[in-house]
Amino acid sequence: MSIAGRIPPWIVSMLLALAFWQVAASVGPISDSSIPTAVDSVTTLVQLLGQSETWIALGQTVAIAAIGFALSLLIALPLGILIGLSRFAFTSTKFVFDFFKVIPPIVIIPITILALGPTFQMGVFLVVFGLVFALAIQTAYGVRDADPVLLDTMRAYRQGIVTQIRYARLPSAASFIAVGIRISATAALVIAVVAGLIGGAPGLGRQLLLSQTGGLADQTFAIVLLLGVLGVLVSHGIEWSRRKVIFWEDR
Amino acid sequence: MTAEISIRNVSMEFPTPDGVKHVLNDISYDVNQHHFVSIVGPSGVGKTTLLRLLTGLMKPTSGEIQVHGERISGAPKGLAVVLQDYTRSLMPWLTIEKNIALPLRNQKLGKAETRERIESSLEEVGLSGTGGNYPWQMSGGMQQRASIARALAVRPTILVMDEPFASVDAQTRFDLEDLVLKVRADFGITTLMVTHDIDEAVYLSDEIVVLHGRPAGVRDVVVVDIPFPRSQIETRNDQRFTELRTHVYAMVRGLE
Ligand SMILES: Nc1ncnc2c1ncn2[C@@H]1O[C@H](COP(=O)(O)OP(=O)(O)OP(=O)(O)O)[C@@H](O)[C@H]1O
Ligand SMILES: [Mg+2]
Repeated sequence: MSIAGRIPPWIVSMLLALAFWQVAASVGPISDSSIPTAVDSVTTLVQLLGQSETWIALGQTVAIAAIGFALSLLIALPLGILIGLSRFAFTSTKFVFDFFKVIPPIVIIPITILALGPTFQMGVFLVVFGLVFALAIQTAYGVRDADPVLLDTMRAYRQGIVTQIRYARLPSAASFIAVGIRISATAALVIAVVAGLIGGAPGLGRQLLLSQTGGLADQTFAIVLLLGVLGVLVSHGIEWSRRKVIFWEDR
Repeated sequence: MTAEISIRNVSMEFPTPDGVKHVLNDISYDVNQHHFVSIVGPSGVGKTTLLRLLTGLMKPTSGEIQVHGERISGAPKGLAVVLQDYTRSLMPWLTIEKNIALPLRNQKLGKAETRERIESSLEEVGLSGTGGNYPWQMSGGMQQRASIARALAVRPTILVMDEPFASVDAQTRFDLEDLVLKVRADFGITTLMVTHDIDEAVYLSDEIVVLHGRPAGVRDVVVVDIPFPRSQIETRNDQRFTELRTHVYAMVRGLE
């Protein structure tokens, strides 16, 4: 195989995108604007990575996203399972959850700041608010989706409700939950950044806000690049674990 | 002979948006212990409904079903099932062994005994040594064998099968039919099987119950007086076999 054939396609497309950015920002149509070139941004990013503040901010953002995400799972999974087990609970709560699900967390930032201030907790709260309803509904759908033929088989073998939940409802909910988790994990990151950018919560979002208002274009773009890399890592990590856990799919 | 299962004046109606749907009307029939009984009838006549009533998954609108003289509520003890859709009745997230082990949990057997049940039932269906596989790593015929092994492992007194061989190829179907005959000879489990295949019903059964009409009633009970052991080639060329299948076929079609 040639050398070119051995380079993974994602590297090729990333390099192409950077090259396009470089050309557009140095000689292209946006060369007059304050948008920095790719080389400048990457250089700034490397410099930023040498500073402890960057790592602290990164840690704060990841912590807000991760804690919010974990809390959401802790609330949404049991709640979704309970709701999914009863047709009545499912139909009666679905409307309320769908309603809250579509409210973007950004909308409630002003109220949240009043209550909690521009703090770490506020960021966590926003993440939970942004994830918990969709995750709970997704889980409930998964629980309801358990195959009726399988459930009938289990009932005919006189297996109790606990066994049915453990061996039929939860595994079949797992693939629904996995989709929810994959979407939520990156959403958690986005919300954690927004909480800083708009609400002033600590982390990369606030750094972004500061560099933007300080007119530091290179730094702004460098942080955006960093967030992009982080997002890609998270979504790949989640997808990798999904394949390990839900091994009976994708075969 | 004693009746293992008694179906007494069973009627079944379903509420639907366009009124009540009357599916089964006053069905009465006794299944003798150790007998193999097939239920045949046109599509949509109510065969699966009758089986679901027998497995206690639904309650009849009127009438009752007794097992050993006792009215059932819920699935009776000692029941095992094999359904057409093996891909949906075996759990893809468990190995074949664990699929078989799951219904055994009710019986609170020791580890060694559980193992022994799994091994011996896999051996009975010709799947020795495959217990570590997941269902989706096996062919359709093997998966259906595994469902039969799961059924045998509970040491059932009653086996209920709904079109168990409808989703496998013709050769596998013959093999599985012979497997069922062997199981019958080895264990004498009282068996009720729904099938669309009249030849299959005649080949396997002691009696065939023909359902017909809307709502459905028992149109006839045909006694299959062909001696055991039976074999695919000889039995199917037997003159009595031909007469019986012609007779049952005509009744299913409502011609007689
Ligand atoms: N839960 C239900 N609610 C309403 N109608 C039902 C229900 N279950 C079955 N029926 C109706 O009862 C009738 C008999 O259905 P059933 O599945 O028992 O037929 P079947 O003889 O098994 O048919 P097939 O040979 O196609 O499997 C059908 O008309 C079906 O629509
Ligand atoms: Mg049917």
